[in-house]
Amino acid sequence: MGGSFGGGFMKELRADWIAAAILCASLFAAGAARGQQDYPVSARTLKNGMKVLVQTDHSIPNVALYIFYRIGSRNERPGTTGISHFFEHMMFNGAKKYGPGDLDKVMEANGGANNAYTTRDVTVYQDWFPRSALPLIYDIESDRIRDLSFDPQKVKSEREVVASERRLSVDNENSGVLDEQLWATSYIAHPYQWPVIGWMSDIEHWTMEDLRHHFEMGYSPNNATMVVVGDVSADEIFKLCDTYIEPIPTHAPPPPVTTAEPSQAGERRLVVRKQAELPLLMLGYHVGQSNSPDFYALNILRTILFQGESSRMYQRLVDKDQIALDVSSALEPAFDPTMVEVVAQPKQGVDPQACEKAIYEELERAASTFTTDVELEKAKNIRLVEFYRQVRTINGRANTIGTYEVFFGDYNKLFEAAKNYSAVTKEDVQRVAKSYFGANNRTVATLLPENREKAKQQ
Amino acid sequence: MTRARGIRSFLAAAAIVVLACSIAPAQTLHLPPHERIVLKNGLTVLLLEKHGVPLVNISAIVKVGAGGDPAGQEGLATTTAGLLRKGTKKRNAQQFAADLDYIGGEFEAEAGPDFTAVSAEFLTKDLARGLDLFSDALLHPTFPQAETEKFLAQSLDGVKAAKDDPQSVMMAYYSGYLYGAHPYGHSPSGDEVSLKQIQREAVVKFYEANYAPGNTVVAVAGEFDAAAMRAKLEEALGAWEPRAVRSAVMPGVSSSKGKRLLLVDKPDASQTYFAIGNTGVAANDPDRVAIRLVNTIFGGRFTSELNEALRVESGYTYGAQSFFDQRKLPGPFVIFSFTKNETTTPAIDLALQVLAKLHKDGVTQEQLKSARSYIKGQFPPEIETSRQLARTIAMHEFYGLGDDEVNQLEARLDAVTPEIARQVIQKHFPAENLDFVLIGKASAIGPAVQKYAPNQDTRLLSDPGFWPAPAAAKK
Repeated sequence: MGGSFGGGFMKELRADWIAAAILCASLFAAGAARGQQDYPVSARTLKNGMKVLVQTDHSIPNVALYIFYRIGSRNERPGTTGISHFFEHMMFNGAKKYGPGDLDKVMEANGGANNAYTTRDVTVYQDWFPRSALPLIYDIESDRIRDLSFDPQKVKSEREVVASERRLSVDNENSGVLDEQLWATSYIAHPYQWPVIGWMSDIEHWTMEDLRHHFEMGYSPNNATMVVVGDVSADEIFKLCDTYIEPIPTHAPPPPVTTAEPSQAGERRLVVRKQAELPLLMLGYHVGQSNSPDFYALNILRTILFQGESSRMYQRLVDKDQIALDVSSALEPAFDPTMVEVVAQPKQGVDPQACEKAIYEELERAASTFTTDVELEKAKNIRLVEFYRQVRTINGRANTIGTYEVFFGDYNKLFEAAKNYSAVTKEDVQRVAKSYFGANNRTVATLLPENREKAKQQ
Repeated sequence: MTRARGIRSFLAAAAIVVLACSIAPAQTLHLPPHERIVLKNGLTVLLLEKHGVPLVNISAIVKVGAGGDPAGQEGLATTTAGLLRKGTKKRNAQQFAADLDYIGGEFEAEAGPDFTAVSAEFLTKDLARGLDLFSDALLHPTFPQAETEKFLAQSLDGVKAAKDDPQSVMMAYYSGYLYGAHPYGHSPSGDEVSLKQIQREAVVKFYEANYAPGNTVVAVAGEFDAAAMRAKLEEALGAWEPRAVRSAVMPGVSSSKGKRLLLVDKPDASQTYFAIGNTGVAANDPDRVAIRLVNTIFGGRFTSELNEALRVESGYTYGAQSFFDQRKLPGPFVIFSFTKNETTTPAIDLALQVLAKLHKDGVTQEQLKSARSYIKGQFPPEIETSRQLARTIAMHEFYGLGDDEVNQLEARLDAVTPEIARQVIQKHFPAENLDFVLIGKASAIGPAVQKYAPNQDTRLLSDPGFWPAPAAAKK
């Protein structure tokens, strides 16, 4: 939900990330945790500026390789919204050595699989493969970073693929529609206002020139971080990088995004009317970027309020008042000031405003009184377990290490987070509840089912 | 937004039990050693030590699923499972939630077509508390009246919420159309009509009739000492009183004959979701490895023939795939994709051409080689975590399969020749006998899709139930 639009897969990754962030913190708090010494990372910066992080794990004979490019929809402009994501698709559609269709065919024939995701801030490429495919993967990755080509036929058919993806995840999914409208309303200046997948009219109108420009802007080695986790040694990875990656020339990274979202000084509301079985409610509250100091306290607050069936919001809306099917929140990694989103699925026949009222009352309670010691302790324990869930696979670790490196500026923050989480106090939790979750800072998006007969008459 | 996975994960979710069909890379992969014991009360226990991360996963399979729902009370197995944590002899629902969340634990209980899976996961240091919560829910649920009513009301709205996402209800319509009155023909979650017929008494009765140590397998995997764990499990689960269970026998499955089409009308849809296929194979089918290999080539990966045709070459869709949902009895085989209203028939035509080509041309030696590598290379992450390992060994036990599912997989894959593949295609991939289920805008696509089947059925997505219509089912 949120910063990226997209399928379940994406949501899973992001949720895990948030969890990991918080977890590591409490892992130290709990005193029983495994730390940096248990998951050592080797780091090297290539001459062309790409940073490479390697972690060895021989438990399965496989490798997860992630490349994070610091370019996403925040680097776009009106008219070409969604081009970062479209470009992500084009990265699989042919370069100099591996032509259209070759990349996937060769990779799968050698036991590998791949995917990618795009968010408001980054574009991330993922390869999962048996270690026997190691040199091949480097050949493929270097080919497309250096010599991507744009076959006009592929551009044409891929445009249709992305349009289908948009219809799937936005137009025919209520949460997709509402999420898009929420960001478009709560942001009026900063590029977070447009959807990662782009407006349909922009999807239909990008030019080859726009694509080339995007490639030149975002795909310089010094704008990327590579993370490799699995059945490898750091030495062999650095050697492969010497051969395949280091010779790739560097160029200027994307120009800085200088537009700052002005602070919101009053509630904003929007309604989407649509044929639907049930209404839907989403709230957005502006908060700081990922590396802002309140990040940890915000996540502890979100856990107390939203996570698990003993959380305050579940107890209140789902269990006691029985006005919602579920209620949750999301906070995605972001370079610039972002939003905490709250989503509630009202039950049949319940006015979404009843859910709104209950949520506001719980937020008010968190802002006016201290959380209990047990709740604070519970939140830290939950994060600890989630940390282990994140690092128990080579895939989860590659994504988490990369996310910390990119959004917090240093993968070591993964291990320092523990200290930061354990430092969160009741006072901090109350303070962030008070400073971010007031009426003036919120945007309220409601999807209201449209009566079918009425819709037919119109 | 993801490039392809979003779609594939639909498949994984839809196929509640994708049999842990097993494949290994480079002739090296084996299931870690594990131990099987039967407690005095008849409970089968599997123990697997997995070190590296201090987590323990305990996964039970109770050998009754939605296939055991009484007619008219579809959703009963799911309701029973969902209520396990909503009140026990020791804890009310709120206390259970508080105790579970305090240790950051996870508890899940869900009924699929063949069985009910109940599992918990927690840190090794919280083993005593975690086992206590798990056994409390599994052995001592009390099904409080108020919680039962609350749960049923939520389930009812859950069905409505699911209908707002056509992908999530596709398998409910497709299974209903394909299996009709057979127990595989209804959604495990029940529907707007059947859930209203469920009372607390029925839940209690269902629990007493089916939840018993002799009818259950428990697998534990994670960071622990097996000998110590054995004693702890004896203590936590050994006191579960044995009870005679009348084992329900499902009637046999018959495949669909001829061509039939169900059009589920979603008047505001801008794209059509379609499922095409017939009944597939059982989990223990002797051809299962060859089927997996052929399906990988046909519709089981990004470069599959279906995805190449419908996505890569034509741009009709974000994703197209096929899968066999392997169960105790033959589960569904399905080709699934979606496309905008205007390209509905071109996309379906193309999917049918790809299927016809499979029958006509079979698969090549080179395709087999590629798919073998793919399956072997992608398998290790399928048994990487304690949770995956516990579920895999529990599933093998339930379906009467052994460790060879994993340990012999590479050899079995290597043994598949183009000739064997040809036979498998002929035997297991439908050709002429096809059921079509479409969710889309009937006024836009209805006339055009009539060409696929002489027999057509129509229903509104918002009509209560899936297929057949609940009222008709009661007749």
